[in-house]
Amino acid sequence: MHRSISIRRIDAGKLMAFIFLTFLAIIWIIPFLWIFLSSFKVEMEINQAGGFMYFPKTWTLENYKELLDPNNKQLPIYRWFINSFFISGIHTILSVIIYSMSAYAYAKLQFKGRDTIFLVLMGLSVFPAIINIIPLYKLCLVLGWLNGPLALIVPGLAGMFNIFLIRQFLYGIPDSLLEVARIDGASEWTIYFKVILPLAKPVLIAVALFSFTGNWNDFLWPSIAINNIDRLTLTAGLQLAKGAYGVKVAHMSTVAVIAIIPMAILYLFTQKYFIHGISLSSGIKG
Amino acid sequence: MADISAAIKRKKKFKITPYLFIAPHIILFIVFFLYPLGYGIFASFTKWNLFNQPEFIGLENYRLILFEKDSTFYRQFWNGLKNTVTFVIICVPFQIIIPLLIAQALNLKPKGHRFFQSTIYMPTLVSITAVTLTWMFIFNRTLGLFNNMLGTDINWYGEQPYAWMTVVIVTIWWIAGQNMIIYVAALEGIDKDILEAAQIDGVNMFQRFFRITLPSIRFQLVYTLVISIIQQFNIYGQPLMLTGGGPNETTFVLLMYIRNLAFGTGNSIAGVSTAMSMVLGLVICIVSIFQLILLRNREA
Repeated sequence: MHRSISIRRIDAGKLMAFIFLTFLAIIWIIPFLWIFLSSFKVEMEINQAGGFMYFPKTWTLENYKELLDPNNKQLPIYRWFINSFFISGIHTILSVIIYSMSAYAYAKLQFKGRDTIFLVLMGLSVFPAIINIIPLYKLCLVLGWLNGPLALIVPGLAGMFNIFLIRQFLYGIPDSLLEVARIDGASEWTIYFKVILPLAKPVLIAVALFSFTGNWNDFLWPSIAINNIDRLTLTAGLQLAKGAYGVKVAHMSTVAVIAIIPMAILYLFTQKYFIHGISLSSGIKG
Repeated sequence: MADISAAIKRKKKFKITPYLFIAPHIILFIVFFLYPLGYGIFASFTKWNLFNQPEFIGLENYRLILFEKDSTFYRQFWNGLKNTVTFVIICVPFQIIIPLLIAQALNLKPKGHRFFQSTIYMPTLVSITAVTLTWMFIFNRTLGLFNNMLGTDINWYGEQPYAWMTVVIVTIWWIAGQNMIIYVAALEGIDKDILEAAQIDGVNMFQRFFRITLPSIRFQLVYTLVISIIQQFNIYGQPLMLTGGGPNETTFVLLMYIRNLAFGTGNSIAGVSTAMSMVLGLVICIVSIFQLILLRNREA
């Protein structure tokens, strides 16, 4: 008797949760759906309809053709894509290498001042990046990096958080494993490449994804460091869309769809790593 | 004998390898973090336009922005700070409560929970510019989905409190997934037996939530509270793209002033701008220290 009541209760809870989540999912999907629909509309037809219509009258791909055209001078999205892929790609590779090397040393090697250095760096990193942005501009100016990819690739490699994250993960690897390798005569570098990197793969994938999306989505810094429209990243460049297309609903929606698609695809294939990575970084697992 | 002393010697020998492992990052840290930090602190005490040799003027910039009532910098600083703090105060509670409710619902594992989770998490990966472009024609007064669907004529971007509502709604839609994931993982860690035992003892749903669930995930609650506050003090893109700081500069946040003063059109006033970013930085810093303490305690 009791049992059936409790089962029915759980079902009621589940049903409530389902309704609540369906409602939210609709809210979350509507904006995407709206730009997607609007991107196929003909600008003229929207105007004729008084500036608003739910569905495209004629479905067209012209907006996409126009915007992705490599010769689009007004909003060189094509160019920005290439810039963003290049910059974020290199930044990600360097992040994984540099952060994992440091994390390995702090977690597994014995050397004088190890814990002090780590603590001092962690302590200093409470100063938020925002304080540094104006001096960083000056520094890049002096280095001749402004308007170039280096300004967007290198300064972001100075962070501490990912080192902390990888270090935490490496504590989970037993020292005995490394000792065996050492007795076999492996150098620290061999151990790093052959033992640490393969074993730390889950956390390194998370760091790679965070570095890539973080760099790709950075807005303030690229919009300061880059003045040349052809050298902007996609995220910073999109700021110009409003000036270029103003109230052209279909064009603006197409721009938004194009900007979202790469991340949507990345997410589709790496979803579980993202979610695992967030859990790692909040200190719940690992 | 010689062998042993050689062995001891070798052991005592300064090992360079570990330092080589940390060197690349340390160099980057010094050049691109520590040096700019020092330079920024120094520059905030100077008259500087980014290109000249900074000229030391003591606390003048700070006096100007903090106390000089007739100065435009004073007005901009306090207005910017007020708006940033307003945003933090409105946004952060939603950024905690909504993801918590979602996580609680997901934790019941209703049909399609994976789909719901993916959908709500997805926008967190999109840049703020793409997010604001996505929403631009939803809240647009004449061309937008909302007003046309509801038959209203609300000036979402140009009137308060709608301007703040718009900025907060877009922000929550953008990043609710972040805290949601943290809470989902935390809720999974709660011992189901305790909840079930409480249920059998007749403890109702709300009591279970407040007496068992919340205390069990208190670490994650505090952690997300801290990171959300830090994140929202950095608000910049949403008002810039959606409201342009309007109406009447009521959504003009501090970072927009800082950016405009240093890099806007006309003469750069980098010294004053740096002083403003120092004050903002100090506020964020204080919150970050809490985060650091939390992480340390967790580690111990």
